[in-house]
Amino acid sequence: MMTKLRIGLWTVALLMIGASLWFVVGAPVEAQMGVVQKISYIHIPSATMTLLAFALTFAASIAYLATRAWIWDAVAASACEVGMVFATIVLVSGPLWARSAWNTWWTWEPRLTTFLILWVLYGGYHIVRSSVAESSKRTISSVLGIVLFVNLPIVWKSVEWWRGSLHPRSVTMTGDMRATLTFSMMAWLLFFAVVLWERLRLEVLQNAAETAVREDYAGEAGKAARREGVAR
Amino acid sequence: MIALAVFAKDLRLHARDARFLATLALFSLSLVLILSVAFGPLFRDPAREASATLWAALFFAGVLGLTRSLDFESEAGGGEALRLTGADPFSVYVGKAAAGFVLMAALCAVLLPCASVFYDVGSLEVLPQAAGVAALALIGYAAWGTLFAALARGAKARELLLSILLFPTLIPLWIGAVKLTRALWADGSIDAVRDWVKIMVVVDLLGIALAAWLYETIQESEG
Repeated sequence: MMTKLRIGLWTVALLMIGASLWFVVGAPVEAQMGVVQKISYIHIPSATMTLLAFALTFAASIAYLATRAWIWDAVAASACEVGMVFATIVLVSGPLWARSAWNTWWTWEPRLTTFLILWVLYGGYHIVRSSVAESSKRTISSVLGIVLFVNLPIVWKSVEWWRGSLHPRSVTMTGDMRATLTFSMMAWLLFFAVVLWERLRLEVLQNAAETAVREDYAGEAGKAARREGVAR
Repeated sequence: MIALAVFAKDLRLHARDARFLATLALFSLSLVLILSVAFGPLFRDPAREASATLWAALFFAGVLGLTRSLDFESEAGGGEALRLTGADPFSVYVGKAAAGFVLMAALCAVLLPCASVFYDVGSLEVLPQAAGVAALALIGYAAWGTLFAALARGAKARELLLSILLFPTLIPLWIGAVKLTRALWADGSIDAVRDWVKIMVVVDLLGIALAAWLYETIQESEG
């Protein structure tokens, strides 16, 4: 049942991504920027998914510290990993657009700078998670998931808080362009949900495998202790 | 009282380790030298380059100070003993952050005149204001640094990890410190960039507030 559901969701998600790319190709060409503007149909949904993923990491981290249920830590770590992938897409697609719009791949303006900081910090989350002792991994990761969230509002509001920002504050589209962006957003949201579920499934399987190994080890150790007792 | 005791203990341990303090001072001085040579010998905007050099050297050298104070905890089970006393974790945090602040302030007292002399900027009239800017920057550095150092305590390559987490987080503080110091050295006043004082205060308070909320959890995870 679950396998069928997974296959079904993957199929729908990939079909929607395919359809959204098809719509992007067919969408009207913007008068000023030309065909390069179409990058925004990938860039904007990816940026939205990044913020959504890191916000989910924050919420799940709080939930873990409140309940100590390991599944919340698994949700936080999975969301953070998926968020990093989307953040990387943003950092690659942004300069491609900027080269045409601003005549440079990169400029140290507030939105770009704060987003790069965000990417480095959440990269640090994964390194910390993989380097601390197993016994404190979940708590330390959760604390970090909360602390790093401070950067999200800064990225979000950077274009308003700092003067001289080149990055567009908001994108206004109408007609077919708006419809294409809305469809792309829905497609990427479903894709995000499916990938997150898949990543979470891996965490669950890993946890089950680790628990089985621990129980097996405890069982073997018990048998060895009993054998030693009989021998004495 | 607990905070004061932890503060005094950390300072005593720092004071006993003269070799480390000398290494830290020389390391930060060599950073000032390297950056001065890179920018010079003819400076385009000496006030700007001097403030950038000062704060870059302080932030980099500070990581060594923070990790050293962590070593005090792991050496001879000091951290474990501190936890067993049942001392309030936030008081422990305040004591450690205050000791970190004093260490950084001492380093700043060495580097500030050096940067001022090497780049030929600043004057004694702006010294009280420069000390105020330094206090704002170093309070934030100690507050966030102690929090992140506790997070990275059990990790492998913790100096690198600390840099990865701390430097990007403190960028607003770093920019603020550089802009305010530059304004003081170039114009003798911070009026043109006064908004950065507010930003630095917010960053400082945010670090302390997060530590008040989460430091106990970090300490418990090590128990």
